[in-house]
Amino acid sequence: MLGYSDKQQAFIEVNKIAYTYPQGTQVILDMTTKFYPQQFTAIVGSNGSGKTTLGKLLAGIFKPTSGQVLIAGKLSTRLKLGEIGQKVGYLFQEPERQIFAPSVREEIGFVLNFRGVSEREIAEKVAKMLNLFHLAELKDEYPFRLSRGEKQRLALAAILVNEPIFLILDEPTTGLDLHRREELSQILQELKLQGLGLVVISHDEDFVNANADRVLEISGGEIIADQQLHPNDRGE
Amino acid sequence: MQTSSSTQTIEENELDPRSKLCIVFALSSVAVFVQKIWLLALILMLGMVLTYLLGENLHLFKRFGRIIWLFVGIAVIQSIFTPEGIPLIAIGKIRLLTVGGLEKGVCFLLRIMAIIVPASIMISTGTREIIQGLVQWKVPYEIAFMVSLAIRFLPLLSEEIKDTFIAIQLRGIELDKIPLGKRLRMYSYLFMPVLSGVILKARELSTAMETRAFRAFPRRTSYRVLKLQNQDYLVMGMSLCFVIVVLTINFYYKGGF
Ligand SMILES: Nc1ncnc2c1ncn2[C@@H]1O[C@H](COP(=O)(O)OP(=O)(O)O)[C@@H](O)[C@H]1O
Ligand SMILES: [Mg+2]
Repeated sequence: MLGYSDKQQAFIEVNKIAYTYPQGTQVILDMTTKFYPQQFTAIVGSNGSGKTTLGKLLAGIFKPTSGQVLIAGKLSTRLKLGEIGQKVGYLFQEPERQIFAPSVREEIGFVLNFRGVSEREIAEKVAKMLNLFHLAELKDEYPFRLSRGEKQRLALAAILVNEPIFLILDEPTTGLDLHRREELSQILQELKLQGLGLVVISHDEDFVNANADRVLEISGGEIIADQQLHPNDRGE
Repeated sequence: MQTSSSTQTIEENELDPRSKLCIVFALSSVAVFVQKIWLLALILMLGMVLTYLLGENLHLFKRFGRIIWLFVGIAVIQSIFTPEGIPLIAIGKIRLLTVGGLEKGVCFLLRIMAIIVPASIMISTGTREIIQGLVQWKVPYEIAFMVSLAIRFLPLLSEEIKDTFIAIQLRGIELDKIPLGKRLRMYSYLFMPVLSGVILKARELSTAMETRAFRAFPRRTSYRVLKLQNQDYLVMGMSLCFVIVVLTINFYYKGGF
Protein backbone atom coordinates (compact mmCIF):
# COMPACT_ATOMS: atom_id res chain seq x y z
CA MET A 1 0.00 0.00 0.00
CA LEU A 2 1.03 3.53 -0.59
CA GLY A 3 1.99 5.61 2.40
CA TYR A 4 0.65 9.11 2.71
CA SER A 5 2.93 10.95 5.07
CA ASP A 6 2.44 14.11 3.06
CA LYS A 7 -1.18 14.97 3.61
CA GLN A 8 -1.21 17.58 0.93
CA GLN A 9 -0.77 14.92 -1.70
CA ALA A 10 -4.09 14.49 -3.47
CA PHE A 11 -5.19 10.94 -4.22
CA ILE A 12 -7.49 11.86 -7.09
CA GLU A 13 -6.92 14.97 -9.17
CA VAL A 14 -9.48 16.24 -11.62
CA ASN A 15 -8.26 18.67 -14.21
CA LYS A 16 -10.71 20.55 -16.43
CA ILE A 17 -12.72 17.50 -17.27
CA ALA A 18 -15.72 17.34 -19.57
CA TYR A 19 -17.81 14.30 -20.34
CA THR A 20 -20.31 13.62 -23.09
CA TYR A 21 -22.16 10.31 -23.32
CA PRO A 22 -21.71 8.49 -26.61
CA GLN A 23 -25.33 9.29 -27.48
CA GLY A 24 -24.49 12.96 -27.21
CA THR A 25 -25.68 14.20 -23.81
CA GLN A 26 -23.04 16.45 -22.33
CA VAL A 27 -23.20 15.89 -18.61
CA ILE A 28 -19.94 17.31 -17.25
CA LEU A 29 -18.87 20.67 -18.67
CA ASP A 30 -15.78 21.77 -16.82
CA MET A 31 -14.62 20.58 -13.43
CA THR A 32 -11.35 20.92 -11.60
CA THR A 33 -10.78 19.68 -8.07
CA LYS A 34 -8.77 17.35 -5.84
CA PHE A 35 -9.61 14.63 -3.38
CA TYR A 36 -7.40 13.78 -0.44
CA PRO A 37 -6.72 10.82 1.82
CA GLN A 38 -8.38 11.08 5.21
CA GLN A 39 -11.02 13.39 3.89
CA PHE A 40 -14.75 12.70 3.61
CA THR A 41 -16.13 14.57 0.62
CA ALA A 42 -19.84 14.51 -0.09
CA ILE A 43 -21.03 15.16 -3.62
CA VAL A 44 -24.52 16.59 -3.68
CA GLY A 45 -26.81 17.91 -6.40
CA SER A 46 -30.28 17.36 -7.77
CA ASN A 47 -31.34 14.23 -9.63
CA GLY A 48 -29.74 14.00 -13.03
CA SER A 49 -27.13 16.62 -12.22
CA GLY A 50 -24.35 14.19 -13.10
CA LYS A 51 -23.24 12.87 -9.70
CA THR A 52 -23.10 9.27 -10.81
CA THR A 53 -21.32 10.26 -14.01
CA LEU A 54 -18.72 12.20 -12.02
CA GLY A 55 -18.25 9.27 -9.65
CA LYS A 56 -17.61 6.95 -12.59
CA LEU A 57 -15.08 9.39 -14.00
CA LEU A 58 -13.29 9.51 -10.65
CA ALA A 59 -13.16 5.72 -10.55
CA GLY A 60 -11.80 5.50 -14.07
CA ILE A 61 -14.88 3.65 -15.34
CA PHE A 62 -15.53 6.47 -17.79
CA LYS A 63 -12.65 8.32 -19.38
CA PRO A 64 -13.14 12.09 -19.71
CA THR A 65 -13.89 13.42 -23.18
CA SER A 66 -11.42 16.20 -22.44
CA GLY A 67 -9.21 17.04 -19.47
CA GLN A 68 -7.57 14.53 -17.13
CA VAL A 69 -8.32 12.44 -14.09
CA LEU A 70 -5.25 11.37 -12.13
CA ILE A 71 -5.62 8.44 -9.75
CA ALA A 72 -2.67 8.07 -7.38
CA GLY A 73 -0.70 10.22 -9.77
CA LYS A 74 -1.50 8.24 -12.91
CA LEU A 75 -3.77 9.18 -15.77
CA SER A 76 -7.03 7.24 -15.59
CA THR A 77 -6.78 6.58 -19.33
CA ARG A 78 -3.55 4.67 -18.72
CA LEU A 79 -4.87 2.50 -15.91
CA LYS A 80 -6.67 -0.80 -16.27
CA LEU A 81 -9.81 -1.21 -14.20
CA GLY A 82 -8.22 -4.14 -12.43
CA GLU A 83 -5.35 -1.96 -11.29
CA ILE A 84 -7.65 0.80 -10.12
CA GLY A 85 -9.76 -1.72 -8.24
CA GLN A 86 -6.80 -2.69 -6.11
CA LYS A 87 -6.65 0.81 -4.66
CA VAL A 88 -10.10 2.26 -5.14
CA GLY A 89 -13.34 0.72 -3.94
CA TYR A 90 -16.38 1.77 -5.95
CA LEU A 91 -19.94 1.12 -4.82
CA PHE A 92 -22.47 1.20 -7.66
CA GLN A 93 -25.77 2.95 -7.17
CA GLU A 94 -27.47 -0.37 -8.03
CA PRO A 95 -26.05 -3.07 -5.74
CA GLU A 96 -27.36 -5.88 -7.98
CA ARG A 97 -24.80 -5.05 -10.61
CA GLN A 98 -21.98 -6.04 -8.35
CA ILE A 99 -23.16 -9.17 -6.62
CA PHE A 100 -21.68 -12.23 -8.24
CA ALA A 101 -21.59 -15.25 -5.99
CA PRO A 102 -24.26 -17.72 -4.90
CA SER A 103 -23.73 -17.10 -1.19
CA VAL A 104 -23.00 -14.12 1.02
CA ARG A 105 -19.80 -15.66 2.33
CA GLU A 106 -18.49 -16.50 -1.12
CA GLU A 107 -19.38 -13.06 -2.40
CA ILE A 108 -17.02 -11.49 0.11
CA GLY A 109 -14.23 -14.00 -0.40
CA PHE A 110 -14.11 -14.99 -4.05
CA VAL A 111 -12.04 -12.08 -5.28
CA LEU A 112 -9.33 -12.80 -2.72
CA ASN A 113 -9.31 -16.33 -4.01
CA PHE A 114 -8.59 -15.08 -7.53
CA ARG A 115 -5.85 -12.92 -6.18
CA GLY A 116 -4.09 -15.87 -4.62
CA VAL A 117 -4.75 -15.20 -0.94
CA SER A 118 -4.56 -18.35 1.19
CA GLU A 119 -7.77 -20.08 2.27
CA ARG A 120 -7.08 -19.43 5.93
CA GLU A 121 -6.49 -15.76 5.42
CA ILE A 122 -9.63 -15.51 3.33
CA ALA A 123 -11.71 -17.17 6.03
CA GLU A 124 -10.37 -14.72 8.60
CA LYS A 125 -11.04 -11.67 6.50
CA VAL A 126 -14.49 -12.83 5.51
CA ALA A 127 -15.42 -13.48 9.13
CA LYS A 128 -14.27 -9.99 10.05
CA MET A 129 -16.44 -8.43 7.35
CA LEU A 130 -19.44 -10.56 8.24
CA ASN A 131 -19.24 -9.26 11.77
CA LEU A 132 -18.56 -5.67 10.86
CA PHE A 133 -21.61 -5.52 8.62
CA HIS A 134 -23.84 -7.77 10.74
CA LEU A 135 -24.15 -10.33 8.01
CA ALA A 136 -22.93 -13.34 9.98
CA GLU A 137 -26.39 -14.86 10.26
CA LEU A 138 -26.91 -14.51 6.54
CA LYS A 139 -23.57 -15.97 5.56
CA ASP A 140 -25.03 -18.92 3.66
CA GLU A 141 -27.94 -16.99 2.24
CA TYR A 142 -28.42 -16.50 -1.47
CA PRO A 143 -27.52 -12.82 -2.02
CA PHE A 144 -30.34 -12.31 -4.46
CA ARG A 145 -32.83 -12.93 -1.65
CA LEU A 146 -31.44 -10.19 0.59
CA SER A 147 -33.23 -6.90 1.14
CA ARG A 148 -31.96 -3.81 -0.60
CA GLY A 149 -30.19 -2.61 2.56
CA GLU A 150 -28.59 -5.99 3.14
CA LYS A 151 -27.37 -6.10 -0.45
CA GLN A 152 -25.91 -2.65 0.02
CA ARG A 153 -24.04 -3.81 3.13
CA LEU A 154 -22.87 -6.95 1.38
CA ALA A 155 -21.57 -5.00 -1.61
CA LEU A 156 -19.70 -2.69 0.75
CA ALA A 157 -18.25 -5.62 2.71
CA ALA A 158 -17.07 -7.21 -0.53
CA ILE A 159 -15.34 -3.99 -1.50
CA LEU A 160 -13.72 -3.36 1.86
CA VAL A 161 -12.30 -6.86 2.13
CA ASN A 162 -9.93 -5.73 -0.64
CA GLU A 163 -8.57 -3.08 1.73
CA PRO A 164 -8.81 -0.17 -0.71
CA ILE A 165 -7.16 3.12 0.17
CA PHE A 166 -9.86 5.25 -1.39
CA LEU A 167 -13.62 4.76 -1.51
CA ILE A 168 -16.19 6.12 -3.94
CA LEU A 169 -19.73 5.34 -2.84
CA ASP A 170 -22.77 6.16 -4.94
CA GLU A 171 -25.82 6.69 -2.70
CA PRO A 172 -24.74 4.23 -0.01
CA THR A 173 -27.60 5.00 2.37
CA THR A 174 -30.37 4.00 -0.01
CA GLY A 175 -32.44 1.29 1.60
CA LEU A 176 -30.80 1.64 5.02
CA ASP A 177 -32.94 2.46 8.05
CA LEU A 178 -31.84 5.02 10.61
CA HIS A 179 -30.02 2.50 12.74
CA ARG A 180 -28.09 1.01 9.80
CA ARG A 181 -27.23 4.45 8.54
CA GLU A 182 -25.78 5.24 11.94
CA GLU A 183 -23.66 2.11 11.74
CA LEU A 184 -22.50 2.95 8.25
CA SER A 185 -21.44 6.39 9.50
CA GLN A 186 -19.36 4.78 12.22
CA ILE A 187 -17.70 2.36 9.83
CA LEU A 188 -16.83 5.12 7.37
CA GLN A 189 -15.50 7.40 10.09
CA GLU A 190 -13.37 4.55 11.39
CA LEU A 191 -11.98 3.97 7.89
CA LYS A 192 -11.21 7.66 7.58
CA LEU A 193 -9.25 7.56 10.82
CA GLN A 194 -7.25 4.69 9.36
CA GLY A 195 -6.28 7.01 6.51
CA LEU A 196 -8.82 6.30 3.76
CA GLY A 197 -10.11 9.03 1.52
CA LEU A 198 -13.83 8.98 0.79
CA VAL A 199 -16.08 10.43 -1.87
CA VAL A 200 -19.71 9.83 -1.03
CA ILE A 201 -22.49 10.73 -3.43
CA SER A 202 -25.63 11.31 -1.46
CA HIS A 203 -28.70 13.40 -1.18
CA ASP A 204 -29.28 12.26 2.36
CA GLU A 205 -28.81 15.62 4.04
CA ASP A 206 -28.54 14.34 7.61
CA PHE A 207 -25.99 11.77 6.61
CA VAL A 208 -23.92 14.36 4.76
CA ASN A 209 -24.04 16.86 7.61
CA ALA A 210 -23.09 14.25 10.16
CA ASN A 211 -20.13 12.89 8.20
CA ALA A 212 -18.73 15.14 5.54
CA ASP A 213 -15.64 17.28 5.97
CA ARG A 214 -16.35 18.87 2.66
CA VAL A 215 -19.38 19.23 0.44
CA LEU A 216 -19.15 19.62 -3.32
CA GLU A 217 -22.34 20.72 -4.96
CA ILE A 218 -22.71 20.19 -8.68
CA SER A 219 -25.24 21.55 -11.11
CA GLY A 220 -25.33 22.12 -14.84
CA GLY A 221 -22.14 20.13 -15.29
CA GLU A 222 -20.08 22.35 -13.02
CA ILE A 223 -19.07 22.59 -9.39
CA ILE A 224 -21.20 25.39 -7.99
CA ALA A 225 -20.11 25.18 -4.37
CA ASP A 226 -17.15 23.66 -2.53
CA GLN A 227 -17.62 24.01 1.16
CA GLN A 228 -15.45 22.91 4.07
CA LEU A 229 -17.76 21.71 6.87
CA HIS A 230 -15.33 20.67 9.53
CA PRO A 231 -12.26 22.78 8.97
CA ASN A 232 -9.35 20.43 9.51
CA ASP A 233 -5.66 20.71 9.89
CA ARG A 234 -4.98 20.87 6.20
CA GLY A 235 -5.16 24.65 6.22
CA GLU A 236 -6.85 25.04 2.85
CA MET B 1 -63.84 -17.10 -22.18
CA GLN B 2 -63.58 -17.04 -25.90
CA THR B 3 -65.19 -13.99 -27.39
CA SER B 4 -66.64 -14.42 -30.79
CA SER B 5 -65.42 -11.10 -32.13
CA SER B 6 -61.84 -11.19 -31.01
CA THR B 7 -60.14 -7.84 -30.70
CA GLN B 8 -56.73 -8.75 -31.89
CA THR B 9 -57.23 -10.69 -35.01
CA ILE B 10 -54.39 -12.87 -35.95
CA GLU B 11 -54.60 -14.12 -39.46
CA GLU B 12 -56.04 -17.58 -39.65
CA ASN B 13 -53.00 -19.22 -41.12
CA GLU B 14 -50.54 -17.50 -38.81
CA LEU B 15 -48.50 -19.91 -36.74
CA ASP B 16 -49.10 -20.11 -33.02
CA PRO B 17 -46.31 -18.33 -31.08
CA ARG B 18 -45.55 -21.60 -29.38
CA SER B 19 -44.86 -23.23 -32.71
CA LYS B 20 -42.48 -20.43 -33.52
CA LEU B 21 -40.77 -20.90 -30.16
CA CYS B 22 -40.36 -24.58 -30.99
CA ILE B 23 -38.77 -23.79 -34.33
CA VAL B 24 -36.38 -21.29 -32.79
CA PHE B 25 -35.53 -23.60 -29.96
CA ALA B 26 -34.94 -26.56 -32.25
CA LEU B 27 -32.71 -24.65 -34.65
CA SER B 28 -30.70 -22.78 -32.03
CA SER B 29 -30.15 -25.70 -29.70
CA VAL B 30 -29.04 -27.95 -32.51
CA ALA B 31 -26.62 -25.27 -33.69
CA VAL B 32 -24.96 -25.34 -30.28
CA PHE B 33 -24.13 -29.05 -30.47
CA VAL B 34 -23.36 -29.74 -34.08
CA GLN B 35 -19.67 -30.05 -34.95
CA LYS B 36 -19.67 -30.63 -38.69
CA ILE B 37 -19.32 -27.63 -40.90
CA TRP B 38 -21.63 -28.79 -43.68
CA LEU B 39 -24.32 -29.63 -41.13
CA LEU B 40 -23.97 -26.20 -39.54
CA ALA B 41 -24.21 -24.55 -42.94
CA LEU B 42 -27.34 -26.56 -43.68
CA ILE B 43 -28.92 -25.57 -40.38
CA LEU B 44 -28.12 -21.93 -41.01
CA MET B 45 -29.65 -22.10 -44.47
CA LEU B 46 -32.77 -23.74 -43.14
CA GLY B 47 -32.93 -21.07 -40.45
CA MET B 48 -32.68 -18.31 -43.01
CA VAL B 49 -35.34 -19.81 -45.23
CA LEU B 50 -37.75 -20.29 -42.33
CA THR B 51 -37.07 -16.80 -41.00
CA TYR B 52 -37.79 -15.40 -44.42
CA LEU B 53 -40.92 -17.48 -44.88
CA LEU B 54 -42.24 -16.32 -41.54
CA GLY B 55 -42.09 -12.78 -42.81
CA GLU B 56 -38.97 -11.59 -41.08
CA ASN B 57 -36.47 -9.57 -43.02
CA LEU B 58 -32.93 -10.62 -42.42
CA HIS B 59 -31.77 -7.21 -41.24
CA LEU B 60 -29.78 -8.86 -38.48
CA PHE B 61 -27.17 -9.51 -41.10
CA LYS B 62 -26.13 -5.91 -41.03
CA ARG B 63 -24.75 -6.45 -37.57
CA PHE B 64 -22.42 -9.18 -38.69
CA GLY B 65 -19.84 -6.68 -39.82
CA ARG B 66 -18.37 -6.61 -36.36
CA ILE B 67 -18.42 -10.37 -35.92
CA ILE B 68 -16.38 -10.82 -39.08
CA TRP B 69 -13.31 -9.45 -37.29
CA LEU B 70 -13.84 -11.78 -34.41
CA PHE B 71 -14.01 -14.56 -36.96
CA VAL B 72 -10.74 -13.55 -38.62
CA GLY B 73 -9.17 -13.31 -35.18
CA ILE B 74 -10.31 -16.76 -34.17
CA ALA B 75 -9.13 -18.27 -37.45
CA VAL B 76 -5.68 -16.75 -36.97
CA ILE B 77 -5.37 -17.67 -33.31
CA GLN B 78 -6.44 -21.25 -34.02
CA SER B 79 -3.92 -21.43 -36.85
CA ILE B 80 -1.05 -20.19 -34.72
CA PHE B 81 -1.70 -22.30 -31.65
CA THR B 82 -3.14 -25.48 -33.07
CA PRO B 83 -1.44 -25.61 -36.43
CA GLU B 84 -3.41 -28.36 -38.09
CA GLY B 85 -3.63 -28.76 -41.80
CA ILE B 86 -1.87 -27.09 -44.65
CA PRO B 87 -0.55 -23.59 -43.99
CA LEU B 88 -2.09 -20.97 -46.25
CA ILE B 89 -0.22 -17.90 -45.03
CA ALA B 90 3.01 -18.13 -43.11
CA ILE B 91 5.68 -15.69 -41.96
CA GLY B 92 8.88 -17.61 -41.52
CA LYS B 93 8.01 -20.54 -39.29
CA ILE B 94 4.88 -18.99 -37.85
CA ARG B 95 1.77 -20.20 -39.59
CA LEU B 96 -0.63 -17.30 -39.66
CA LEU B 97 -3.43 -19.13 -41.38
CA THR B 98 -3.91 -22.85 -41.80
CA VAL B 99 -6.72 -24.91 -43.25
CA GLY B 100 -7.50 -26.18 -39.75
CA GLY B 101 -7.66 -22.65 -38.32
CA LEU B 102 -9.81 -21.42 -41.12
CA GLU B 103 -12.14 -24.32 -40.56
CA LYS B 104 -12.55 -23.45 -36.89
CA GLY B 105 -13.20 -19.81 -37.75
CA VAL B 106 -15.85 -20.71 -40.30
CA CYS B 107 -17.38 -23.09 -37.81
CA PHE B 108 -17.62 -20.33 -35.23
CA LEU B 109 -19.17 -17.87 -37.62
CA LEU B 110 -21.72 -20.37 -38.88
CA ARG B 111 -22.63 -21.39 -35.37
CA ILE B 112 -23.20 -17.83 -34.17
CA MET B 113 -25.32 -17.01 -37.19
CA ALA B 114 -27.28 -20.25 -36.94
CA ILE B 115 -28.15 -19.36 -33.35
CA ILE B 116 -28.99 -15.72 -33.92
CA VAL B 117 -30.87 -15.80 -37.21
CA PRO B 118 -33.81 -17.94 -36.10
CA ALA B 119 -34.08 -15.89 -32.90
CA SER B 120 -35.20 -12.97 -34.99
CA ILE B 121 -38.38 -14.93 -35.71
CA MET B 122 -39.47 -14.16 -32.17
CA ILE B 123 -38.72 -10.47 -32.32
CA SER B 124 -41.78 -9.62 -34.35
CA THR B 125 -44.03 -11.91 -32.35
CA GLY B 126 -45.92 -9.83 -29.83
CA THR B 127 -44.88 -10.13 -26.20
CA ARG B 128 -48.49 -10.74 -25.28
CA GLU B 129 -48.89 -13.65 -27.63
CA ILE B 130 -45.78 -15.33 -26.31
CA ILE B 131 -46.88 -14.93 -22.70
CA GLN B 132 -50.35 -16.08 -23.43
CA GLY B 133 -49.22 -19.10 -25.37
CA LEU B 134 -46.98 -20.20 -22.51
CA VAL B 135 -49.60 -19.51 -19.86
CA GLN B 136 -52.02 -21.72 -21.74
CA TRP B 137 -49.39 -24.42 -21.53
CA LYS B 138 -49.61 -24.03 -17.75
CA VAL B 139 -46.26 -22.28 -17.56
CA PRO B 140 -46.55 -19.96 -14.53
CA TYR B 141 -47.32 -16.44 -15.61
CA GLU B 142 -44.16 -14.97 -14.09
CA ILE B 143 -41.92 -17.34 -15.96
CA ALA B 144 -43.81 -16.84 -19.22
CA PHE B 145 -43.41 -13.14 -18.70
CA MET B 146 -39.70 -13.48 -18.15
CA VAL B 147 -39.22 -15.62 -21.22
CA SER B 148 -40.98 -13.05 -23.34
CA LEU B 149 -38.95 -10.29 -21.73
CA ALA B 150 -35.72 -12.16 -22.22
CA ILE B 151 -36.50 -12.33 -25.91
CA ARG B 152 -37.32 -8.67 -26.00
CA PHE B 153 -34.43 -7.50 -23.86
CA LEU B 154 -31.69 -9.59 -25.34
CA PRO B 155 -30.09 -6.51 -26.89
CA LEU B 156 -30.14 -4.69 -23.54
CA LEU B 157 -28.45 -7.64 -21.97
CA SER B 158 -25.16 -6.79 -23.61
CA GLU B 159 -25.22 -3.44 -21.79
CA GLU B 160 -25.74 -5.26 -18.52
CA ILE B 161 -22.89 -7.64 -19.23
CA LYS B 162 -20.58 -4.72 -19.89
CA ASP B 163 -21.42 -3.15 -16.52
CA THR B 164 -20.86 -6.44 -14.80
CA PHE B 165 -17.45 -6.78 -16.39
CA ILE B 166 -16.57 -3.33 -15.10
CA ALA B 167 -17.78 -4.17 -11.63
CA ILE B 168 -15.76 -7.37 -11.36
CA GLN B 169 -12.58 -5.70 -12.60
CA LEU B 170 -13.07 -2.91 -10.10
CA ARG B 171 -12.80 -5.55 -7.41
CA GLY B 172 -9.15 -5.62 -8.30
CA ILE B 173 -9.20 -8.47 -10.77
CA GLU B 174 -6.88 -7.97 -13.71
CA LEU B 175 -8.47 -10.06 -16.40
CA ASP B 176 -5.37 -10.49 -18.50
CA LYS B 177 -3.29 -11.70 -15.57
CA ILE B 178 -5.56 -14.54 -14.57
CA PRO B 179 -4.59 -17.98 -15.87
CA LEU B 180 -7.04 -19.48 -18.35
CA GLY B 181 -8.50 -22.11 -16.04
CA LYS B 182 -9.30 -19.58 -13.36
CA ARG B 183 -10.61 -17.17 -15.94
CA LEU B 184 -13.27 -19.61 -17.03
CA ARG B 185 -14.36 -19.95 -13.43
CA MET B 186 -14.49 -16.18 -13.19
CA TYR B 187 -16.76 -15.95 -16.18
CA SER B 188 -19.20 -18.18 -14.38
CA TYR B 189 -19.50 -15.46 -11.77
CA LEU B 190 -20.73 -13.05 -14.39
CA PHE B 191 -24.00 -14.93 -14.91
CA MET B 192 -25.35 -14.06 -11.53
CA PRO B 193 -25.70 -10.30 -11.80
CA VAL B 194 -26.83 -10.53 -15.40
CA LEU B 195 -29.51 -13.05 -14.58
CA SER B 196 -30.66 -11.19 -11.51
CA GLY B 197 -30.77 -8.01 -13.57
CA VAL B 198 -33.15 -9.61 -16.03
CA ILE B 199 -35.36 -11.04 -13.31
CA LEU B 200 -35.47 -7.72 -11.49
CA LYS B 201 -36.40 -5.91 -14.64
CA ALA B 202 -39.15 -8.41 -15.29
CA ARG B 203 -40.44 -7.96 -11.77
CA GLU B 204 -40.35 -4.20 -11.93
CA LEU B 205 -42.18 -4.23 -15.20
CA SER B 206 -44.85 -6.62 -14.06
CA THR B 207 -45.40 -4.57 -10.90
CA ALA B 208 -45.59 -1.42 -12.91
CA MET B 209 -48.09 -3.02 -15.22
CA GLU B 210 -50.19 -4.32 -12.39
CA THR B 211 -50.35 -1.03 -10.59
CA ARG B 212 -51.70 0.39 -13.78
CA ALA B 213 -54.39 -2.28 -13.63
CA PHE B 214 -53.00 -3.99 -16.66
CA ARG B 215 -52.87 -7.19 -14.73
CA ALA B 216 -51.77 -10.35 -16.30
CA PHE B 217 -53.27 -11.70 -19.38
CA PRO B 218 -55.48 -14.47 -18.08
CA ARG B 219 -57.70 -12.00 -16.31
CA ARG B 220 -58.14 -9.60 -19.11
CA THR B 221 -61.32 -10.02 -21.03
CA SER B 222 -60.40 -8.61 -24.38
CA TYR B 223 -58.08 -11.25 -25.57
CA ARG B 224 -58.31 -14.20 -27.80
CA VAL B 225 -57.54 -17.66 -26.63
CA LEU B 226 -54.80 -19.20 -28.68
CA LYS B 227 -55.67 -22.51 -30.16
CA LEU B 228 -53.23 -24.92 -31.67
CA GLN B 229 -54.20 -25.86 -35.19
CA ASN B 230 -53.16 -28.86 -37.21
CA GLN B 231 -50.35 -26.89 -38.78
CA ASP B 232 -48.96 -26.18 -35.31
CA TYR B 233 -48.89 -29.82 -34.33
CA LEU B 234 -47.17 -30.50 -37.63
CA VAL B 235 -44.54 -27.82 -37.03
CA MET B 236 -43.84 -28.97 -33.51
CA GLY B 237 -43.60 -32.59 -34.58
CA MET B 238 -41.25 -31.64 -37.37
CA SER B 239 -39.10 -29.55 -35.03
CA LEU B 240 -38.69 -32.53 -32.74
CA CYS B 241 -37.86 -34.86 -35.64
CA PHE B 242 -35.40 -32.30 -36.92
CA VAL B 243 -33.52 -32.20 -33.62
CA ILE B 244 -33.37 -35.97 -33.40
CA VAL B 245 -32.27 -36.46 -37.00
CA VAL B 246 -29.61 -33.76 -36.93
CA LEU B 247 -28.12 -34.93 -33.64
CA THR B 248 -28.11 -38.52 -34.86
CA ILE B 249 -26.29 -37.52 -38.02
CA ASN B 250 -23.85 -35.44 -36.05
CA PHE B 251 -22.92 -38.21 -33.66
CA TYR B 252 -23.06 -41.28 -35.88
CA TYR B 253 -22.13 -40.16 -39.34
CA LYS B 254 -18.37 -40.47 -39.48
CA GLY B 255 -17.57 -39.49 -43.03
CA GLY B 256 -16.63 -36.05 -44.30
CA PHE B 257 -15.70 -33.22 -41.99
N1 LIG C 1 -25.69 5.79 -20.08
C1 LIG C 1 -26.14 7.04 -20.33
N2 LIG C 1 -26.30 7.48 -21.59
C2 LIG C 1 -26.74 8.72 -21.85
N3 LIG C 1 -27.08 9.61 -20.93
C3 LIG C 1 -26.96 9.24 -19.64
C4 LIG C 1 -26.49 7.93 -19.26
N4 LIG C 1 -26.48 7.85 -17.91
C5 LIG C 1 -26.92 9.04 -17.47
N5 LIG C 1 -27.21 9.88 -18.49
C6 LIG C 1 -27.70 11.26 -18.37
O1 LIG C 1 -26.74 12.03 -17.71
C7 LIG C 1 -27.35 12.91 -16.78
C8 LIG C 1 -26.74 12.72 -15.42
O2 LIG C 1 -27.01 11.43 -14.95
P1 LIG C 1 -26.41 10.90 -13.58
O3 LIG C 1 -24.94 11.09 -13.60
O4 LIG C 1 -26.91 9.52 -13.38
O5 LIG C 1 -27.06 11.90 -12.52
P2 LIG C 1 -27.30 11.73 -10.95
O6 LIG C 1 -26.52 10.59 -10.46
O7 LIG C 1 -26.86 13.04 -10.37
O8 LIG C 1 -28.78 11.55 -10.75
C9 LIG C 1 -28.83 12.63 -16.84
O9 LIG C 1 -29.43 13.64 -17.61
C10 LIG C 1 -28.94 11.32 -17.51
O10 LIG C 1 -30.09 11.27 -18.29
MG1 LIG D 1 -26.99 8.85 -9.56
